[in-house]
Amino acid sequence: MSGQPLLDVKGLTCRFGGLLAVEEMELAVPRSQLAGLIGPNGAGKTTVFNLLTGRVKPASGSILFEGRPLIGLKANRINRLGLARTFQNIRLFSELTVMDNVLVGFHGGLKANFISAVLRLPSYRAEERRILARAEEILELMGLMEQAQERAGNLAYGQQRLLEIGRALATSPSLLLLDEPAAGMNPQETLALSALVRRLRDELKLTVLLIEHDMHFVMNLCEELTVLDHGKVIARGAPQAVQRDQAVIEAYLGVSPAKCASTENGDA
Amino acid sequence: MIRALLRRLNAGPLPPPQATRRRDFWLSLVAVAVMAVGLRLLETGLSAYWVQMICLAGLNVVLAVSYNLINGVTGQFSLSPNAFMACGAYVTALLTLSPAEKSLSFILEPLVWPLSVISLPLPMALMIAGLVTALLGFVMGFPVFRVRDDYLAIVTLGFGEVIRVVANNAQSVTNGPLGLKGITHLTTVWWAWGLCLAAAFVVTRLIRSSYGLALKAIREDEVAAETMGIDIFWHKMLAFMVSAFFQGVAGGLLAHLITTISPNLFTFFLTFNLLIMIVVGGLGSTTGAVLAAVLVTFGGEWLRVVEEPLSLFGYEIPGIAGMRMVVFSLILVGFMIFMRRGLLGRNEFTWRWLTALAGRRSENK
Amino acid sequence: MDALQQLINGLTLGSLYALIAIGYTMVYGILRLINFAHGDVLMVGCYLAWFASAQFGLPWWVSLAGSMALTAALGMLIDLGAYRPLRSAPRISALITAIGVSFFLENLGLVIFGGRPKAFARPEIFNELYHWGGLRVLSLSVWVPLITALILAVLLYVLYRTRLGMAMRALSRDLVTVRLMGIDTDRVVAATFAIGSALAAAGGIFWAMKYPQINPLMGIMPGLKAFVAAVLGGIGNVVGAMLGGLLLGLAEILLVAWMPELAGYRDALAFVLLIAFLIFRPQGLLGEKTT
Repeated sequence: MSGQPLLDVKGLTCRFGGLLAVEEMELAVPRSQLAGLIGPNGAGKTTVFNLLTGRVKPASGSILFEGRPLIGLKANRINRLGLARTFQNIRLFSELTVMDNVLVGFHGGLKANFISAVLRLPSYRAEERRILARAEEILELMGLMEQAQERAGNLAYGQQRLLEIGRALATSPSLLLLDEPAAGMNPQETLALSALVRRLRDELKLTVLLIEHDMHFVMNLCEELTVLDHGKVIARGAPQAVQRDQAVIEAYLGVSPAKCASTENGDA
Repeated sequence: MIRALLRRLNAGPLPPPQATRRRDFWLSLVAVAVMAVGLRLLETGLSAYWVQMICLAGLNVVLAVSYNLINGVTGQFSLSPNAFMACGAYVTALLTLSPAEKSLSFILEPLVWPLSVISLPLPMALMIAGLVTALLGFVMGFPVFRVRDDYLAIVTLGFGEVIRVVANNAQSVTNGPLGLKGITHLTTVWWAWGLCLAAAFVVTRLIRSSYGLALKAIREDEVAAETMGIDIFWHKMLAFMVSAFFQGVAGGLLAHLITTISPNLFTFFLTFNLLIMIVVGGLGSTTGAVLAAVLVTFGGEWLRVVEEPLSLFGYEIPGIAGMRMVVFSLILVGFMIFMRRGLLGRNEFTWRWLTALAGRRSENK
Repeated sequence: MDALQQLINGLTLGSLYALIAIGYTMVYGILRLINFAHGDVLMVGCYLAWFASAQFGLPWWVSLAGSMALTAALGMLIDLGAYRPLRSAPRISALITAIGVSFFLENLGLVIFGGRPKAFARPEIFNELYHWGGLRVLSLSVWVPLITALILAVLLYVLYRTRLGMAMRALSRDLVTVRLMGIDTDRVVAATFAIGSALAAAGGIFWAMKYPQINPLMGIMPGLKAFVAAVLGGIGNVVGAMLGGLLLGLAEILLVAWMPELAGYRDALAFVLLIAFLIFRPQGLLGEKTT
């Protein structure tokens, strides 16, 4: 049980037309790890998230989550198995209140059927009370309790990112996929986010896989990094090791390190 | 202005739910009692024509509220209420008409057994009609919810036409273009407004429940809703079937209000009327739909003035038949261009709002 | 022999659907708007032609050309007054507006022209009856496909060989980018409405000659079916609209010819085909797959 990773991706390949968006990707995320997925723009990171959550169908490969194959399942089924995500281009239900956004997250796990909901039978009422209490806990954790009755679209950008995480938490996931959670945040917010993600792992025993461009954030938070370039994994390992990797530096700078060094010298 | 006020008064931290629930319950009960007394007075005090209009207004409220559930709340732009009303009207009429009446009507081809011998009391017939219509919605839902937006609109419109064509041709069930005559006038103010209460109760409770949140989430962002674990197909289907059920029952009551039905009664025109109501009320607002349904029903009567000859300063202006619909279509286009969110937007009149308003009044004193 | 007769009938009907479908498909291709009022614009075109011929005694081709010109102007007017204010609104708002415009035209038609159908005279040239072997063919049935083919050829020339056509095709790819490139998109859209409406008028007038009568609600069914034809062909594609129109016309005629007991269900066939296509080939005959 402990030997098997929570998420196990093998040979994952995805094509858009003639373009190979993801090619033969391998990825294993052990339970309770803070993993990072980085790479230059257009490397296929978000496509990997879309493949994992069932929005895009792969051409080949396998995805095992807690030992279960995910390929072919609908997005909502995958979520119910314990895989939740946030979106790079925030996709909140912006006309709904902050509280309602979180409550929607709980709906997928609701046991009461719609007749008992309409009739407000005791079983539904008990469940509703429990959900409401847990939603408040989540908002408290996100520091959004004050804005609970605010329209989600009215929140500040950084708060919207937090609410997306809160909404994902409401689906009670075991693996949380964060797509550029720090994008658009100021340094203080980023710092708080770092602490929050760590708390999620430590206190809620969540496993986290995140995409992020803020290298400082990634290097400080993640325990293992996978680097993607043109749909291929070009490096993997501890942040410090990846940082020094030749292939990674080339991918990010687009030139060979030697050349890079020489221009640096020239500038100096 | 109404919208801004509603938004402001409905905002702010929620009061303890238990206490307000109980207060809202009693307030609702009082409102229902007041409505019942009002209807009783109107029923006895008004001419048969106006009583008929009040019934029609009630049915329009049912239709608009249930139509708003799928179009406004769930955001699936269906154009099929005329199909559902036709289904409900035919099923109810075929179940309640007496065998003798049926054999009189079906002159070209006899009605198929067992419909030819059945004659049920109205409540049972309405219940069956609602369920059959919901079943029709279920069957339609499979192709309909494979598509979205304007395609969904066209497919649902297409189903409306198909139902009409079937009603025109399935001689041995529907009596074809001749339609059904001699349906007993059973729809009273109590039936129409009783159904209103039932529809408003079910739809409001549904919208306020976790299921309603899921429906709104689907309207806001389908992809995000699905990623949050919501089965969007079945939730759309749920809203569609609940909507179909009430439209079917309302269709049945309509048949028993106007006593004669034929396929050409159930054209896209009916759907257009409802569309105006939910657009004017504000797509997504149940109380807006109620308000607009009443406004449009009586507004239509009021507009009859323009269709009747008028004498002004000694000049005779001839009545212009059909002018009402010209005005209505202009209203629809005008709302879309100048006031897209309708009278109430997505806000609701709530007890909370009313008490907040009363509270402000007393504070001002 | 009988099959050939049906083929000719189907071809004629299909050509009429095609002429109307082209306007739908061009507007949808650019604005992603189902112009519900298209069928009613057609009706107005027919009444204009009727006034020109029956009231003023103009020759048929003059009234056809005049009606097409005026209907083109009507199309542009509708775009200007009803659709342009909603360009940045949600698509459904524009669709509701289109439904409103459709009802406005129908009911205004009822108010002005009255509900009673008017006889629409068939000009001499279209009224000859040919006997070829066992075939009985009205000259109109021969002319309509020919004229349709001619119009399509001209339209394809405009689309692929002129600056306006290029702008239209670019617009259907990406309206925003084209606007950023400094092209007056409103004018191109207006031109699209003008062309589509003129073709609808032409289709409507031949439709009126075929039946031969007109009424204010005559545009509803041909309009809906032509939209279905546009979807069958692959919406946004002019040649596809042509093919879709022919397919629908032939299918309807063949249904009636081979299964006369189902003749009454003819008006439902278009929607059954529509549903089947949306399930099995949503991009239509010639359309590209989109998400």
